[in-house]
Amino acid sequence: MSEARAVIADDEPLLRAQLRSRLARAWPELEVVHEMENGRDIERVLEAHKPDLFFLDIHMPGMGGLEAAQAIGARAHVVFVTAYDEYAVEAFERGAVDYVLKPFNELRLAKTVQRLRERLGSRPPELESLMESLAARLAPARAEHLRWIKASMGSNVRLIPVEEVLFFQSDEKYTRVVTREGESLIRKPIRELLEELDPAKFWQVHRATIVNVDHIASVKRGLKDQAEIALRGSEETLVVSRAFTHLFKQM
Amino acid sequence: MIAHAHLLEGLTVRRVLYVTAICAAAVGAVVWIFLNTYLDLLVTALCVGYTSMILFTIAGNVRTARVPREAMQMLAVVAGSVLGTLLAGLVKGRSLSGMFTERLSGVAISMGLGIGFGCVAVAAVILREKSARDQARISRAESERHRLEKNVLEARLQLMQAQVEPHFLFNTLANVQHLVETDPGAASGMLESLIQYLRAALPQMREGTTNLGREIDMAQAFLEIHRVRMGSRMQFAIDVPAGLRERPFPPMMLISLVENAVKHGVDPCCECGMITLRAAESDGRLRVEVSDTGEGIVPKKGGGVGLSNIRERLHALYGDDARLTLEENAPHGVVASIEVPAPAAVAVAA
Repeated sequence: MSEARAVIADDEPLLRAQLRSRLARAWPELEVVHEMENGRDIERVLEAHKPDLFFLDIHMPGMGGLEAAQAIGARAHVVFVTAYDEYAVEAFERGAVDYVLKPFNELRLAKTVQRLRERLGSRPPELESLMESLAARLAPARAEHLRWIKASMGSNVRLIPVEEVLFFQSDEKYTRVVTREGESLIRKPIRELLEELDPAKFWQVHRATIVNVDHIASVKRGLKDQAEIALRGSEETLVVSRAFTHLFKQM
Repeated sequence: MIAHAHLLEGLTVRRVLYVTAICAAAVGAVVWIFLNTYLDLLVTALCVGYTSMILFTIAGNVRTARVPREAMQMLAVVAGSVLGTLLAGLVKGRSLSGMFTERLSGVAISMGLGIGFGCVAVAAVILREKSARDQARISRAESERHRLEKNVLEARLQLMQAQVEPHFLFNTLANVQHLVETDPGAASGMLESLIQYLRAALPQMREGTTNLGREIDMAQAFLEIHRVRMGSRMQFAIDVPAGLRERPFPPMMLISLVENAVKHGVDPCCECGMITLRAAESDGRLRVEVSDTGEGIVPKKGGGVGLSNIRERLHALYGDDARLTLEENAPHGVVASIEVPAPAAVAVAA
């Protein structure tokens, strides 16, 4: 009868094998009941194997260790395994969970095993709050804005990072995407772009124009109540219509 | 009124003083021709001067595409001289009709003088404005140059900073650690790849110039390491003609593209991915391409930082003569390519 049941999650097969063999030496009574490449199947694994503890790599494609730990909650103990402890050490030192650094150090792993053995009897701690603060620090806010423009060029689809775009301008049926290196046409209308682009960087300055403020060289007053934008990286100037000139009023 | 306030923009105290001084000096210069007193002439001159000044200012602020601004201003001075002279007459209590009959010659002379001095003054102002504009243009160009220099410097700095990610290093070492125990032959192979990669990637190990061959070798070492680490999930192929290996190629760009292909392409999609490196030369241009069959670009996910760094560096090195393009691979994945001018095939002589 094994003392505890464990699951190892790491996207690198050799590292799973390594942890398994190290654990076999440091904790012969531990049974590794399952190995995972990422955290995606966590529910099924919990259900099927009823493990007491998880060794979770923090960086895994698909579902990383932090997300997986969140899903596990108090249903099992969690030990994080990580190659580089950017933020981890400080957080884990508070003792809620343990962590192991790769490459493994025999002594450190033995200490982890000891700690786990002591805690196995007790209920796993709720990691919610620690997880949340960690997740927030490890995974910076997911980009909610459009970051790439896909523009067809003949039979190819060109991928343009939005930072490179000087401005968007509607041109009857299409929208012109102008960069320093040239321009392409996309079907997405200005109206939709406006909703998806980062409003801090992309300003509508005209019914038909969105400009990337990072590329503005100067703004000067033009005819009537309009203004004119000169850009870095393009000879074209953009008209700011009356409704938008307030964006450029001096502070 | 407020709506048109901008028409008087530029009507500064300085301008008024300037016009007053010109009037005083002009009257001083011509007072000997006339029978009038200095004061009497000064009144006329100031009327002409101020009227012209106001019209000149308005003309300068009216934006119309049809007539050049300078022409408008000249016209304003002529009109100002005529109106100013008439105004002077009224100020002195003379009748309008009188001014066009017995006093016509005097009036004409004062208008003429107004126009003459006015035009000289206007020419001076226009020239000064032009030189100020030139100055502004020069300083703009200057600041643009500074900005570019700063970008180049930043790009270089970024390049100098550690290119070796700790994650990459420690994970690789953990793999080696395991292989030493289980498969010593594979362990030494992986160590060799790591050493080759580090030699190329550590800034102090890197020389200023490099060629395509060295960059390819570095990318290959990186890919070998990942092939071991990712198991069956990643494969790669390198198709670079031996003849192109000696071609000069900027450092650390190819490896960035390869890293992207692994990190943002193959790694996130959990099935197997293929990464292919190709190089070809045609029409005096060298094109190096990294294609992957990975996840492809997700429109709302970042990853352009390394790319804009490459773009800046290409721009700094080759101006508009080099380019980085990203395209969608069929059926999925990304093709990233760098195109640089290849010097005529002299370098091959070896």
